[in-house]
Amino acid sequence: MSTPAPQAAAGNIATFNILHGFPEALVRGMRSSFLGDQDYHHLTQCETLDDVRLNLTETDYGDAIADFNAITPAVLQKAAIEKLVTEFKYLRTQSVEPLATFLDFITYEYMIENVMLLLKGALSGRDINELIEQCHPLGMFKESTMRSIPTFENSARGYADLYQTVLVDTPVGPYFAMFLQESSEHQGTDARHVLEEVEIEIIKSSLIKYWIEDFYHFVQKIGGETADIMGELLRVRADTNAINITLNSFGTPLNEPAMRSSDRKRLYPAVGHLYPAGTTELTEVSNEEELGRVLDLFPQYAAIWSMHASGGDKSIDDVFYERDVQSLELAFESQFHFGVFYAYAKLKEQEIRNLVWISECILQQQKDEINKFVPVFSFHSPWRGSKRR
Amino acid sequence: MGDNSATCSSVYCNQGWAEVLTHMSPYGYANFGVAFGLGLSIVGAAWGIWLTGSSLVGAAVKAPRIRSKNLISVIFCEATAIYGVIMAIILTNKIKEPENPDYYLEEGWDYNGYYYAGYGMFSAGLSVGLTNIASGVSVGIAGSSCAIADAQDASLFVKILIVEIFASALGIFGIIVGIIQSNACTFPIAALG
Repeated sequence: MSTPAPQAAAGNIATFNILHGFPEALVRGMRSSFLGDQDYHHLTQCETLDDVRLNLTETDYGDAIADFNAITPAVLQKAAIEKLVTEFKYLRTQSVEPLATFLDFITYEYMIENVMLLLKGALSGRDINELIEQCHPLGMFKESTMRSIPTFENSARGYADLYQTVLVDTPVGPYFAMFLQESSEHQGTDARHVLEEVEIEIIKSSLIKYWIEDFYHFVQKIGGETADIMGELLRVRADTNAINITLNSFGTPLNEPAMRSSDRKRLYPAVGHLYPAGTTELTEVSNEEELGRVLDLFPQYAAIWSMHASGGDKSIDDVFYERDVQSLELAFESQFHFGVFYAYAKLKEQEIRNLVWISECILQQQKDEINKFVPVFSFHSPWRGSKRR
Repeated sequence: MGDNSATCSSVYCNQGWAEVLTHMSPYGYANFGVAFGLGLSIVGAAWGIWLTGSSLVGAAVKAPRIRSKNLISVIFCEATAIYGVIMAIILTNKIKEPENPDYYLEEGWDYNGYYYAGYGMFSAGLSVGLTNIASGVSVGIAGSSCAIADAQDASLFVKILIVEIFASALGIFGIIVGIIQSNACTFPIAALG
């Protein structure tokens, strides 16, 4: 699939504001809505969820939770995501090409996740209304599309039908088409007998891989500052995916020698710092030790891996989250590019994760765990010099 | 082109662009100088206001307190246009028609001063116009960043304002040099001695 060129130029430092000055300033203004160190401090001191709610009314989340008399972590998450989606849709309505396409690209990830959620839910025979309720509101399709996704049958034929009748009209259709084409090319190999559960994960990883590549090529075509900053964010994202796929494949059929080079290799995105030398080596690894040896060759991942390997109290996901927050915050350090929109959405997601974590800890009385979150734009972040302020 | 009698047969004729440019009237040059000086300055100012204004309204959505304070950035851009207007007024006052307007210039006309005035004022206009485009865009970019920074942290406003003042100074360099350039330009109004 070739990524279509952006319909207009994003503009350089002197012309960017002509089309995108307003939405850019909007999203930078929204930066002030992130919870500060003070807010987190107050939240972690709370004894009950009612206290949490009271503290949040002082913040930007005040309006979002005003309608709820009592909050639970799930309610809080739903309200916070609703708020993020409202803000995102507002930005989307204020944007013109090529920013509009850029923002749409951000939503494709959630569309893929929703399709996969529906497929997985249908496999385990869950109720469709309940599934739609769980879908991320940024990645919603038309109601009729949502309802017809789970009616597929779980076979290569079924996926083809699903694509031809339902997904072909959606923005993520092309990714699905590529997946079908690639798996039909690999039909000859005998490595297709994977568990159904793994099959869904493989489809999801493939679609996300195509999405990252497509998005990456799109920002490269936009060029300028956007290509630099957003390109770096997506390269890092691609590497994270490659490492996680490898790590999660240990102990699954995907790690069998025959599958490694045929199926697992296909899931590695063809962009990023690890591509191509690193991903070629990742194809060969069969356990954590070998994975660590490959990552040692890449200084930025060697540090992350050593934190995972040393068995500290941080999981590799936590370390990745921390690294993501650091690199996403950097997108706010320069002006006249699109990277901030992506960074804003992702940092807000991190904030929502933090809120859910804190409220879960309070609910379950796990006060000693409560500080294990990654604050956004915190003055106490390890990468920020403590001298400031 | 059967009739050759109308064609200039001098060796100085039909020698390309150099001939065209030297045969334009110095009055024409001087007035083009005014036009470029004013027009380009206003392009610069308008561009700057656009860059600043779009960011200003966007940043003011979440932080309404910045909206009046940051009009200073718009005023800085506007100053760029005023430089162009000042220069245009100075130049226009220097354009004087001859005392005895006639189809031909008088005997003993000061051609050196005549052409010097024309070219000098044209160049003065271009100097001011081009520097003011650069200055206007520069102030605009700084003003746009100023609005966004002020929305996050009010203590940054004054600091970035100083950057804007320096960007605005670029336009002053242009107008100073433009005035010096045009100083010696006086259109002769009558024949010498």
